Amino acid sequence: MLFNSFAYFIFLPIVFFLHWNVFSKKEQSQNLFLLAASYFFYGLWDWRFLFLIIASTIVDFYIGKQIHESNSDNKQKQLLWCSIIFNIGILFFFKYYNFFIDSWIDLFQLFGLELKRTWTLKVILPVGISFYTFQTLSYSLDVYHKKITPTSNFISFATFVSFFPQLVAGPIEKASNLLPQITQKRTFNYSKCSEGLKLILWGLFKKVVIADAIAPIVDDIFLHYGNYSASTLLLGAILFSFQIYGDFSGYSDMAIGTAKLFGIELVSNFKFPYLSRNISEFWQRWHISLSNWFKEYLYFPLGGSRQGLSKSILNISIVFLVSGFWHGANWTFIIWGGIHALLYIPIFYFKTNRKYANTIVAETTCFPSSKEFLNIIITFTFVTLSWVFFRAQSITEALEYFKQLLTNFSFEIYHHPSGYRMIDYYIILILFMSYEFIIRKNERTPFNFSSKLVRFILYVVTVFCLVLFFDDQTDRSFIYFQF
Amino acid sequence: MLKLFLKIGAYIILILLVLEVLIRIFHLAKDTPQRFIDKAKVEKWVPNQKGISVTGNRKQNHAHYRINNMGFNSFQEFEPTKAQFELALVGDSFIQGFHQDYNNSIGKKIENEIPNIKVYEYAYAGYDFADQLHLIHVYKKDFDLIDQVVIYIDFNTDLFRNEYAVIQDRVALQSPLNNLLKKCKLLVYAKSIGLLDPPKKLLIKLLNRFSEKQTLTSEKNTKKIDKTSLYINNFKKLVQLYGFDKQRFSLLLNTNTTPKPFLNYLTNNHYEVIDFYQSFKKASTPTYLIYDQHWNNYGRTLIAKQISNSIVP
Repeated sequence: MLFNSFAYFIFLPIVFFLHWNVFSKKEQSQNLFLLAASYFFYGLWDWRFLFLIIASTIVDFYIGKQIHESNSDNKQKQLLWCSIIFNIGILFFFKYYNFFIDSWIDLFQLFGLELKRTWTLKVILPVGISFYTFQTLSYSLDVYHKKITPTSNFISFATFVSFFPQLVAGPIEKASNLLPQITQKRTFNYSKCSEGLKLILWGLFKKVVIADAIAPIVDDIFLHYGNYSASTLLLGAILFSFQIYGDFSGYSDMAIGTAKLFGIELVSNFKFPYLSRNISEFWQRWHISLSNWFKEYLYFPLGGSRQGLSKSILNISIVFLVSGFWHGANWTFIIWGGIHALLYIPIFYFKTNRKYANTIVAETTCFPSSKEFLNIIITFTFVTLSWVFFRAQSITEALEYFKQLLTNFSFEIYHHPSGYRMIDYYIILILFMSYEFIIRKNERTPFNFSSKLVRFILYVVTVFCLVLFFDDQTDRSFIYFQF
Repeated sequence: MLKLFLKIGAYIILILLVLEVLIRIFHLAKDTPQRFIDKAKVEKWVPNQKGISVTGNRKQNHAHYRINNMGFNSFQEFEPTKAQFELALVGDSFIQGFHQDYNNSIGKKIENEIPNIKVYEYAYAGYDFADQLHLIHVYKKDFDLIDQVVIYIDFNTDLFRNEYAVIQDRVALQSPLNNLLKKCKLLVYAKSIGLLDPPKKLLIKLLNRFSEKQTLTSEKNTKKIDKTSLYINNFKKLVQLYGFDKQRFSLLLNTNTTPKPFLNYLTNNHYEVIDFYQSFKKASTPTYLIYDQHWNNYGRTLIAKQISNSIVP
């Protein structure tokens, strides 16, 4: 069930109503109901893979408990490894098995040895596997490191793993944030619900008006890149930057908004990343929950930045490469991660990686300074160019795209593949970025204006844009569902 | 919680009202003329209506229509005479052309191509071959004065029946409830861009679950019948029933979507065919509208040229 589908707009009010009116007496009944709703939500996609979530839940619940109860360091370590092997194991099997087999065969082919592809399997990638395995794994790790006390309530733990707003594409929640909210009884909060609804509306806008509307243009340019000149290819890369941002941050907003309706606060996943002044700031604003996960569970255990410059650079490279690989079983994602590592390392070397931490562009002024503006443009350019690897089907395709971009240097007016007016998209993107700049100080309150009339106008404009840009011909699934 | 629901309800109503106003201001939704059945049992538009037809979201395509005294969309009145060379175009929505300004219709384009010709477009959305032949049959007096008649036919959709009868489903579109709903421009717009399709599909899916078995059996029965021969037989019967003057009448069709047996039948029986497939195939830009299966301006120009080339005044 997609957040932007009609079925979801039937499902959500029913679950909301029942949660607060029928199952609101005890925390246990609230959670049991949310669990059933979450399994129903996931089961509509493919009920068979529910068993995988249930298995992951049982294993980590049991391991967490055993780690806590055990006094032996060795046993605790063994149990932790069991959790790591199980979670990474299912992720490896469903997501990376064929990739490794294919890469192995390709490697042999380089040396002139032909191997048959009989080892490859026809495996469906379960939706959200990368997200919930990381979430359950973080639970075992936190219990092992004594950051949290494991819960003894299985229903609460199962709800934590499969909470439907963030089950299939995050934000990846740490047990220390989400579990305490689930284990206690939640009470209805009007303002929280109101904020949640506003976030859902804003997320829907980003998905339908930004991401879905430009998706056919991006598809066309990337599919026929050989026929286009540099100006169109640049346009394709820029539009993909907006598509992926609208798609994923729109999803995250809807997830956070939906969770708010049930009295649960999820972590922010995006904080206006395209207003970043360097790559380090970009990674503090883009897919924050994943960046934090890697920082806490990979970068710090590797030694972080405390073991000398070369080791730190190595650790940074590992984190970016693994992060790229997490996105998909394709070398293009690894290269994408590598590019970001290369962009990040100089900033780290010159110790400017924390320069913009916890600040936002034009913090005390209305407009950014020319230096800030230039930095934003440079950062956006690097990020946009790196997206080409992310979007391309293969490294060869990405390189060909760049080759065409650099050699076929001419300007052409691009026409929409279905004949729509292109000016509509340019205007809406400019207005969108301008509005993002206006609301840059708080990503969780997109309509935070004191005047009721202004707020109402904004709601109307948002809904009007939804109606104007709705296209029932576009594939409306979310890009990050494939990860 | 009641406060939340009340506030949501109030906001939804207010937003819908403002959207209705905005859609009217920007004229995003199409106007639909009134239809009726005349004394000769011909379904057509109520004469003398004007409006704007809109296609696609964000008003991608919009055009004025004008229903003449005869009840058809045209830039002129139909007054056939013996002295003037006249051509009648008979067809469905493709010829009717609500997707293009009535002053730039296929008929007008033909008149621009051929001097001293008058083109009358007897076209109405949803007409099939039975409608068309019945129309010519009951308006014999007029059509006898017309020198040439071009009938647009789509083999796959226009030969479902072998006898004319008023289509009650289409007449039902004129029901008071439908007329009332059409007054809500937001609803008309939402329907035209496919916004109402998901709930409709969900409802159909749910209903189909209950009647799955019934559908399966009826599907099996229809598969047994050879559609091509059925349609050819329908064509023969309609021609026999209402007549077809091979000297003056010709068929406008797309040979790419028409089955070979029917094309062979037409050739063997000396029916005049105007094929627009080749010119569409050679077209450098799209010939169909966005969000709609009808011909765009360029497609219509090609059709007009094709007809002009085969007309000898």
